[in-house]
Formats: sequence, C-alpha cells, structure tokens
Amino acid sequence: MSVIRAAIDEMFSIVGQMVTSVFRHGLPLTDKIAARTALTNFVLHIHPVRVRRSWIRMSYTLCLGGLSFFLFIVLTVTGLYLMFYYVPSTNHAYQDMRDLQFVVTFGGLIRNMHRWAAHAMVITVWLHMARVFLTGAYKKPREFNWGVGTLLLLITLLLSFTGYLLPWDQLSIWAVTVGTNMAKYAPIAGPYTRYLLIGGRVVGDNALLRFYVLHVVGLPLAGFLLMVVHFWRVRKDGFSGGL
Amino acid sequence: MAADFRRLIEDSREMTRRSFLAMAGWAGFTVASLIALYQSIRWLYPNATYEDPPAFKADPPSAYAVGSTTVIIDKRVVVNHDPNGFYAINLICTHLGCTPRYFPDATSDLVLAGTQIAKDPDTGQQATKASPVLPGFKCPCHGSRYFRDAVNFFGPAPRPMDRVHVEVAPDGKLLIDRSVIVDRSFRLKV
Repeated sequence: MSVIRAAIDEMFSIVGQMVTSVFRHGLPLTDKIAARTALTNFVLHIHPVRVRRSWIRMSYTLCLGGLSFFLFIVLTVTGLYLMFYYVPSTNHAYQDMRDLQFVVTFGGLIRNMHRWAAHAMVITVWLHMARVFLTGAYKKPREFNWGVGTLLLLITLLLSFTGYLLPWDQLSIWAVTVGTNMAKYAPIAGPYTRYLLIGGRVVGDNALLRFYVLHVVGLPLAGFLLMVVHFWRVRKDGFSGGL
Repeated sequence: MAADFRRLIEDSREMTRRSFLAMAGWAGFTVASLIALYQSIRWLYPNATYEDPPAFKADPPSAYAVGSTTVIIDKRVVVNHDPNGFYAINLICTHLGCTPRYFPDATSDLVLAGTQIAKDPDTGQQATKASPVLPGFKCPCHGSRYFRDAVNFFGPAPRPMDRVHVEVAPDGKLLIDRSVIVDRSFRLKV
C-alpha cells in the first residue's frame, strides 16, 4: 500500500511542479498574486493587469472589437479545415466546394461557419468603427490606433473580396471581373493594377491562385500583425470608457 | 529626421572620411532597397499568361446567313452578317466586363413601360409602342442593353461594345482576331 501511496505522492509533486512552472505564483487568491500572474504569463499579459468595470461596460463597447477578433479566430480555424479539401485551380475549385458542401462529413457545417463568420466579421468591424467614432474614442491620444483600425477594416474587406472568388462559381467569377474592372478605371495605374491583381487579362487560373494566396496567407498575416499593434495600443493608450 | 538630414548636409561641408563613408553607405542601401522594391512588384507581372489566344477560327462564311447574329459564347464573340458584309463584336460589356446575353426581344419591356429608346445609329431601326420588339443583348450584371450591332441604348454602359477584325483564312474559314479593334464602318465582304 505504501508503495502506491508513494507513487501517488510522487505523481502529485510532478504535476505540481509542472503547474508551478507555468503559473509561478500559486493560486491567485489575492489581488497582488493575480496581478503578478497576469504580468508573468504570456497569454494573460495581453490583458491589462487591472481593468475598471466601467471601462468595459457592455453598453459602452458593445463588445464589438472582441467579437471581431473572436470571428477572426473562428475564420482562421475553419479556414484551416477547409484548406484540407480545397485545391485552388479552375479544374478543382468548384467541385471541391461542392464536395465540402455535400460529401465531406461536417463539411457543410465548417463551410457555413466560415461563410457566416465572414459576413458577420464585416458587420462587426464596421459597427466597431462606428462605435469608436460616435464615442469620440479616436481622439487624442488614440489617433494612431484609429489609423491602424482603418487598415484592419481595409484588410477585412479585402479578405472578404478575395474569399468571394474561391468557390469559383458564376457569381464569384463575374463579381471579381466587375471588381477588378473597377480598379481598371483608375487613371494611368488602372490597367496595370488589374493585370497585377488577376495575373492576366481575364479572371482565370492566375487570378484564382493569387486571390487564394492573398486570402490564406498574405492578408491574414498582415491582419494579425496589425491586430497585435492594435491591441497593444488599446492597452497603452488607455481605455476610452468612463473613469 | 529633417534635422538629422540638415546636419548631414552641414557636416558634408567639412566632410570627413567617416561621414563620407556613412553617406555612401546609406546611398547604397537606398538604391538597393529601391531595386528590391522594383523587383518585388515586377515579379508579380506575368510575362506569359497561357490564356486563350485572341485570334481563332470560326465557321466558313457560308455558315452565316445574311441578317444572322451568331454568338460564339466560348470565345465571347458575336458574328454578324448584314447585307454589307461580316463584322464581329467582342462580347464584353463596356461597363465592367461581364458577358451580355443575346435576346430576340431586348426592347419591348422598356418601350411598353414608356422608356424612350434611341434609334439604332447603324441599322436605323427604332422600337416604338406600335412595334416594340428589337433583338439585342442584355448584360446580366448591371442591366446594360445593346442593339444587335453592339450599340448601347440602356443602362450604365458608356459606349458600344468593341468590334474586332475578321478575315477569311487560307482554309476558307473566318479568322477573328479579338486583339485588333476596328471601327464601326468595318465590313468583310466575301
């Protein structure tokens, strides 16, 4: 019996050591320990050590920035799932999308989560911007973060636009034909911009590949880096909500 | 930044070996960066695209009756044969590039609803309430409409669709070159 007891004690001490190696300050039983835990933990340090209840009042922020970020995570995860079954070539894309919808188990769920989260993110990002504008939260000292935010809005819209081509159905092909032809109307640089965007004169294989690469790597990466700066500045510039 | 730059210039009046080398170094770095920027943009412009070639062969002229309009949808081209000869239309909407679709009746709904439609400058035809039906093209994207001969008469399209070069190839078939745009008076007589 005592052998088993010793083994259990040993196990507990190993687990205990593992836990304390991650959370160095023990259970956050006091404010001081909680603050230290937040300061020394990589994940938790994204949160300010102290947050006043009034800063994050639901009726003030409407949680729109947080919702946008949550939807970005949903889109990243579901997008990763979709990539296992989707080949960005004009011979495969439409069929792969149909397979995801009708053949792959839970394919319809994942695809629709991606689709609806994408629509929702465009809406929440716009509303977040409207909230920041209406509460005057863009004013000094938060002007820089407003600028970062406009870039994040632009990236959200470009993600939406590039993702729209990927199902490769009639709607997406002609939507991108129309969208890139709008770019063509720009003076001087217009035709060059269109050629650069779709890698040719018509929306074909090159366009699909370019939009895919931008959609799954380029834009999310740029968005992620800007989000890091955005969240950091929210902390450093201070919350705009009540005192 | 500006102050640093001014100091750099002022220092250069009595230039030391050190400041000269620093300036040369920064100049080299700037030039290299600009070259890298050019390269990374130029890289994105394909030199070859493997798209459908602009010139292609259609049927021999005898396959198209006088007065007929034939849509070659894969090539986005229309072959018209009027009493004066053949001409081809690039079936690309001049608004934002979608493919208009042929309808035997492209006018009557507008005319009967009271919309005035201009006279077709090429054929001289006009749709009236008495005889409202004229064939033509409707664009599915934003509703532009064109007469059978590519002249726009309704919707956001800013100008007629382009007409492109047609000739008879040595083997007797029509050779249509979508990269050569011709003016409205062009006709191929066979």
